[in-house]
Amino acid sequence: MAVTTANSEAQLQQTSTVADRWRAVRYLFLAFMALWLLFTLFPLYFMVITAFKSAAETNLTVPTFWPNEWFPQNFAGVFAEATNFNALVDSFIIATANTALALFLGSLAGYAFARFPKQAGGENLAFWILSNRMFPPVAILVPMFFLFDNTPWGTDSHLSLIILYLVFNLPLATWLMMVFFRDAPREIEEAAYLDGWTPMKAFVRVTLPLVLPGMISVAMLCWIFAWNEYLFANLFVGTDVRTYTIVIPTFTHGSQTLWNLQMAFSLIAMIPPVTMFILLRRYMVRGLSLGVVKG
Amino acid sequence: MSDIVRGDPDTYPAWFQNKKTTRPLIVSRWVPIFLVGVPVLVLLAIVIYPTIWMFYHSLRDTNIQGLFMGNHSYIGFENYATVLSSDRFQDSLVHLVQYLTFGAVFQVILGTVLALTLYEFVKSNAIRTTVLILMVLPMMLPPSIVGTLWRFLLTPSNGAVNQALLDLGLISAHIEWFNAGVSLWSIIIADTWNWTALPLLIVYSGRVSLPPAVYEAARVDGASQWKVMRRVTLPMLKEVIAIAFILRFTDAFKFVDLVYVMTSGGPAQSSELPTYIAFQRGIREFAIGEAAAYAIVIFAISAILITLFLKYMKRVMKAQGFA
Repeated sequence: MAVTTANSEAQLQQTSTVADRWRAVRYLFLAFMALWLLFTLFPLYFMVITAFKSAAETNLTVPTFWPNEWFPQNFAGVFAEATNFNALVDSFIIATANTALALFLGSLAGYAFARFPKQAGGENLAFWILSNRMFPPVAILVPMFFLFDNTPWGTDSHLSLIILYLVFNLPLATWLMMVFFRDAPREIEEAAYLDGWTPMKAFVRVTLPLVLPGMISVAMLCWIFAWNEYLFANLFVGTDVRTYTIVIPTFTHGSQTLWNLQMAFSLIAMIPPVTMFILLRRYMVRGLSLGVVKG
Repeated sequence: MSDIVRGDPDTYPAWFQNKKTTRPLIVSRWVPIFLVGVPVLVLLAIVIYPTIWMFYHSLRDTNIQGLFMGNHSYIGFENYATVLSSDRFQDSLVHLVQYLTFGAVFQVILGTVLALTLYEFVKSNAIRTTVLILMVLPMMLPPSIVGTLWRFLLTPSNGAVNQALLDLGLISAHIEWFNAGVSLWSIIIADTWNWTALPLLIVYSGRVSLPPAVYEAARVDGASQWKVMRRVTLPMLKEVIAIAFILRFTDAFKFVDLVYVMTSGGPAQSSELPTYIAFQRGIREFAIGEAAAYAIVIFAISAILITLFLKYMKRVMKAQGFA
């Protein structure tokens, strides 16, 4: 009896030191996370206050961490030049049209992969489609330019970028829609066939509503990728079409960089992706991890 | 009957297979081929055709005039010899290794640590969600904003980072963030700020979806929390972390935008990555043949990596009852 008590006491002591150590580890990691949060937020904070500074204040030799004077008119100043507003419109047109196209083609192919795996070419074809997303786009930039240069609409147009962005959005949409269609319970669809519905009717009335949340998250992801794209746009844009991602780094007045307007413009352009992410982050994880993490 | 196909019968639910009056999904054999064929054709046109084009010109002495005049000739593997033996390419490979190690690999470790810290050590749900959203915000920004912002923050003479470090007493003189030897680190810092969120978000979500019953069992067995972390959580998250790593690594391999926006590969080519040189030689210096050789070398390396990665991914998805 005495032995057992001594044993359990020793055990108790041991557990308590382990618990102590665990508590110390806990504070250490929490402190580290706090530091990381600081590192994450500092640039965003500085971005916001810079957007509210006067041009003179952004060029002081000692930068200020709180604006001496607030300049909310910077946000109006961004749109004083029509080109800036047009850049947002161009980005919006390209991102939206590209998303619609990628989602339409991707859904149909994804459905075929999910329901007729063998006839649609099998998993190897599905993985090949996905692999297109992973290749460095820089490897195909030069021929793309000459390819589109020879088309009637040329490189400097919405259509060229809408098609070009399929390079990364079509594989993503196809793959993810396949994942979502596989998740949709097949029983309901089969029941519709038993009732004599045509495949088309069953697809539109039964399956589509089931995969709608997934579809929306795929649409959001594709839209954000297209909205944020820089590399292709940098090569293709000219006088007719300029996406906002091209305009922001070149926001200068003569030799002077207009940091305050640059940051104000960046903040405006950030609103759509950030809003989408906050609202739909749970669905987006699924898409970002290519369907592996359920989220 | 031969031009008609049925939906994959293996996946029919049991109750359905037993029915005598089955009327499963029957369509023409051409429907799935058509549905998949359209995207495949699009990808052949916009990915495979340009790749073949690049390969063709990597074997020729093409420059920009030659390309327009149709005046270029076969030179064998000379472009490859030029590329592989050039100091510029070899230096860029060293930069790439540095970037992949301290960028991609480090980001996945960091993201995993942060995700598990957030999940295990923060009790309040509201705080957890808020912190998660705040930490993931940078990921939503486009490379052009990230690059511009960090170029601004890291301005040596009057940048916010140098000033903040001075105010905190961590440094006594301005750091020259864009000097040779430092500029690549500046890019890595900006990239880490931008992309650590991806592994963080993925690992966090992976941890959330682990079954609570396992932890209940471990608690009943009296396992210490450290042991639970090491023996239960980390092994169960192995695949999720690997996927996060694959995604980060393939993205890092494609990476070129921040180099372009922040340093243009400079000063004196000290922050160039192979992708950036391919871009620069082709688009800015018009040495099409040589740029093509760069592109094909990059393409070949990524093809090997992607094949390995996808093989692993297939295995993970099979284990989940997927592919």
